[in-house]
Amino acid sequence: MSTINHESISFFQYIKNIIGAVRTTFKGMMITFKYVWAVKPDTIEYPEVREVLPERSRARLYNDVQNCISCNQCAMACPVDCIYISSKPRPKEEEVPKTSNGTPMRLILTQFVIDEALCCYCGLCTTVCPTECLTHTKDYEFSQYTLDNMKYDYLDPEVVAWRDRIVKNP
Amino acid sequence: MEVNNQEIESYEIDQEKIKSDLLTLNMGPQHPATHGVLRVEIKTDSEVVVDAKPYIGYLHRCMEKHCEHLDYRGIIPFVDRMDYLGAMNQELGYATACEKMMGLEVPERAEYIRVIVCELNRIASHLLAFGTYAIDLGAFSPFLYAFQMREKILGFFEEISGARLLYNYIWIGGVWNDVDQDLIDKIQAFCDEMWEEVDKYNNLVSYNKIFINRTAKVGTLTAEKAFDYGATGPVLRGSGVKWDLRKDKPYSIYDRFEFDVPVGEGEQGELGDCWDRHIVRMKEMYESIKIIRQACDGIVDGPIMCKVPKVIRLPEGEIYHKTESPRGEIGFHIISKGDKMPYRVKIKAPCFTHVSILPHLAPGQLIADFVATIGSIDIVLGEVDR
Repeated sequence: MSTINHESISFFQYIKNIIGAVRTTFKGMMITFKYVWAVKPDTIEYPEVREVLPERSRARLYNDVQNCISCNQCAMACPVDCIYISSKPRPKEEEVPKTSNGTPMRLILTQFVIDEALCCYCGLCTTVCPTECLTHTKDYEFSQYTLDNMKYDYLDPEVVAWRDRIVKNP
Repeated sequence: MEVNNQEIESYEIDQEKIKSDLLTLNMGPQHPATHGVLRVEIKTDSEVVVDAKPYIGYLHRCMEKHCEHLDYRGIIPFVDRMDYLGAMNQELGYATACEKMMGLEVPERAEYIRVIVCELNRIASHLLAFGTYAIDLGAFSPFLYAFQMREKILGFFEEISGARLLYNYIWIGGVWNDVDQDLIDKIQAFCDEMWEEVDKYNNLVSYNKIFINRTAKVGTLTAEKAFDYGATGPVLRGSGVKWDLRKDKPYSIYDRFEFDVPVGEGEQGELGDCWDRHIVRMKEMYESIKIIRQACDGIVDGPIMCKVPKVIRLPEGEIYHKTESPRGEIGFHIISKGDKMPYRVKIKAPCFTHVSILPHLAPGQLIADFVATIGSIDIVLGEVDR
């Protein structure tokens, strides 16, 4: 049977240990006691009080399909491959519309889906976007009951309607 | 009455005969004291640990294999997720390795920003190590004080990079976003506050007699054994070895700053015990504050990103580059065949080597002391399993 050998200490040392323990604990308790009145609480009551997120915060992605030129660069840059894009060429007789910064939209976007459950919020897709239509918004409250609901189709009129609500740089 | 001496001798307890069976106990993987999903199979004789065997792999995410299918920019978010408490330092290690291979010159301002964020991250990481260590030993409120300050650092990170833990901020060739002067002033004000906070933590926990009794002369790791096991970082420095890559093999611009390398001095009896490792972390926070102050004073204007090709291709060859993360030396071995994806990325994680020290430290300890030992080596399982 293995045993633990305790060091034998003198009576004087024993008393000294107790005094030391009381003194240092008192010192610590004084610091703790200060928190009763001298330190303001850092916590906030969440649903009522909301933190203002900084400008660069990366939360839910939003793609403004009116400005998207279907260049596929975001899907290429995505390290977890959570962006699904498909497009078809625009008929020749049709007039080519332009995005807000003047880039011609030569392709018709037929699908733009992001699986936000898979997204790792790294922000690489937003940096490569040439028309800056794909952005991280500051909207962070989007929990869902099923994983499927986290797939956002940005061509869906319901999702397009978010534009006024959450777009960071309209 | 006459006593037969021989008879008495035969009644003497035979230690071998009454030897009790060892109890095998699984500590973890869902155990709050193992700091993540580490399972330690310990064999105990009553309250004494006879043998400990760590089992890892519960957080294995095929990080290295993933890297072979990603472009060089896409690896950075994955590198973040290894050591999620010191993500900036991991990014710096990876980015400097790639830059060294490509021969890129990082702009001055980017280097200064890198140093500031990395040292802030080191403080945040040590704060968490300190707070959870106090919880392991039964003190709850230091954890709250530590997190109060950590929250402020994470707030800075959110303003700088947009994320609180997994930043993707340090890129190959520079940093993502610029830091404005307001924030630098705020960080400098934070440094003064932090200095007093660390004093407070030392008074509250480090020099508390109860804390000292729990940690002193527990889990002693001698310098020789630390070398044998390949320990780095605070674990090695706690054993009294003055080895810090920031000082001895400066990367980035660490050679411009004045700071000390704190080592364990065996103040509480034995060199290399849990208390020494703890106090090295506390002292390192002071040194990090010193570095941040110097970097904030010396920051220069200029670009934050050097010219990097749109598709990064590393030249053919291989490189091993190591940097000092909060937990020790993190090494990146990148083999490139000239493609836009690496051929192989091997990561040397400090926590992996530190976990291997546990079987050496455990025998002869009480179970409660074993918890203190695990806490003092400060492992992050995301980095162990990768």
